[in-house]
Amino acid sequence: MELGELPMPELKANEAMVKVAAAGVNFIDVYHREGRYKVPLPFVLGQEGAGVVTALGADVKSVKKGDRVAWTGLLGGYAEYAAIPADRLVAIPAGVTDQQAAAAMLQGMTAHYLSHDTYPLKRGETALVHAAAGGVGLLLVQMAHHIGARMIGTVSTEEKAKLARDAGADDIILYTQSDFEAETKRLTDGKGVHVVYDSVGKTTFEKGLNVLRPRGMMVLFGGSSGAVPPFDLIALSQKGSLYVTRPTLVNYIATREELMARSGAVFDMIGAGKLKLRIEHTYPLAEAQRAHRDLEGRKTTGKLLLIP
Amino acid sequence: MKAIRVSHTGGPEVMELVDLPAPQAKADHALVKVRVAGVNSIDGQFRDGRLRTPLPFIPGQEGAGVVTAIGPQARVVKVGDRVAWSGTLGSYAEYVAAPEEHLVPVPSSISDEQAAAAMVHGLTAHYLVNDAHKLKAEETALVHAAAGGVGLLVVQMARAVGARVIGTASSEQKAQLAREAGADEVIVFTHQDFETEVKRLTSGKGVDVVYDGVGKATFEKNLNVMRLRGMLVLYGMSSGPVPPVDPARLSEKGSLYMARTTLAHFTATREELLARTSALFAMIAEGKLKVQIAKEYPLADAPQAHRDMEARKLAGKLLLIP
Repeated sequence: MELGELPMPELKANEAMVKVAAAGVNFIDVYHREGRYKVPLPFVLGQEGAGVVTALGADVKSVKKGDRVAWTGLLGGYAEYAAIPADRLVAIPAGVTDQQAAAAMLQGMTAHYLSHDTYPLKRGETALVHAAAGGVGLLLVQMAHHIGARMIGTVSTEEKAKLARDAGADDIILYTQSDFEAETKRLTDGKGVHVVYDSVGKTTFEKGLNVLRPRGMMVLFGGSSGAVPPFDLIALSQKGSLYVTRPTLVNYIATREELMARSGAVFDMIGAGKLKLRIEHTYPLAEAQRAHRDLEGRKTTGKLLLIP
Repeated sequence: MKAIRVSHTGGPEVMELVDLPAPQAKADHALVKVRVAGVNSIDGQFRDGRLRTPLPFIPGQEGAGVVTAIGPQARVVKVGDRVAWSGTLGSYAEYVAAPEEHLVPVPSSISDEQAAAAMVHGLTAHYLVNDAHKLKAEETALVHAAAGGVGLLVVQMARAVGARVIGTASSEQKAQLAREAGADEVIVFTHQDFETEVKRLTSGKGVDVVYDGVGKATFEKNLNVMRLRGMLVLYGMSSGPVPPVDPARLSEKGSLYMARTTLAHFTATREELLARTSALFAMIAEGKLKVQIAKEYPLADAPQAHRDMEARKLAGKLLLIP
């Protein structure tokens, strides 16, 4: 990643030019940078951001100059300007800052679809969330807490356990010290949980199936420890007529209506103080390398933002 | 009592009619005079050894009859009650001893034949449409083997909900049965590719849910006929087991869901068993659900009943009358 001087992006008829106020740093950026996810070279990194509309393509009607907007799922956020299709831009309400908006687009909407749509949590239900102090984890814990569900979280350190507890987790398992399968069974009197939210993947999947109650659901939404190998479906019936899904954000903001509704709900929670984002560090655009090193070092527990 | 006994596993001929002492109603069991026993594919799997149980044994998981004696700890049923059951081995006989918790009361509006025929297939269809994926009026379901024992009932229940039903069947004759049960569209999969047809019938969108008891033969294409966030409910594998599945395929195909279900988990508590059977019997009594009975056989003809079941020519339920 090198800082360069480029001409302004060309604006297509359906696009708006956004002066980027804050760009979110995500693991997907690392995958793009490494080549694990292929993108034609050269390219400008970044999958989410927030800023102000400065120019409009000929066909754009849904935003106007001066609007504060945010987006996710499109490359080009690590820059002073990004040309973004107008139908992927959402308006930022007055009670939400640019930095909050940039920090919430990917992880906030992910936590929202997981807890409200993939498995709509209900008051009184119990969920297990792995990496409960991670970016999505902390937001998921807060949303579940507001719904009234009981949240059991797994974390690696006492410091992270505290963060997850502060976010509203009812029980925390330090998986470095105790077996999460045994602990989850103990905490649920052997009944198991209604849903497991798992972004860890390879190292947690099998045991995750063992802590689900009959007809429970495994929501696998990432693979930070590696990809889950192919599994035998008979395990699902033997372990209690279980459900498995592997969701991705793009399928949960597939229409303009859904993108607006979901981002609106997340911004409402932020504005009302119900969802606290942990913006851990902001970096000047020129320090993108350092931001990536910090993210990959896994020392960070909150959101990293670049400020162009 | 007369009973069918399996002393060694194998083809239908290993089932022999024998005279045995009637079982005793011990503890919390009830002794039931079997009036009708249902024939299910699982009986064939026990008979030929794919599913294991200690030998010798009396086959049969399902039936209906009258309680003739109760054990000293039985509290729920009494002598003279008409009852039905599933999941109790030993039903191909004049008498069976069953834990009373397995027995459900049969209302007077339901015949023994209807009750016996409805237990496994009817309860399965009921949990599929109401719980495994709670089907809604505005949704579209794909039902494989729509003229099969479970299929015909799933089609009727899905229609009762108001959903659109696309069925698959192997012949035009079976397709006709599925249509009569209420299927909006039926794909004869021996003539037409079901993936292409489902896409065409849903304008490329795909279905909300697939109910699949077929397994291996349909799995891959199922992943291509669901809408975004659609649900695949696998409740059986009549064509063989599905090979291990890479979960990444579920996200590639549109954040899909997959479940592998069995009836036991949907009748796990006494409350759920009773609620589900009474809902089922009510649908039958009100004429909303027709249970197709293909043929009734004397107990001695159990081998022929299994041959007919395995030939898959008869549409509807096969029953033994002890």
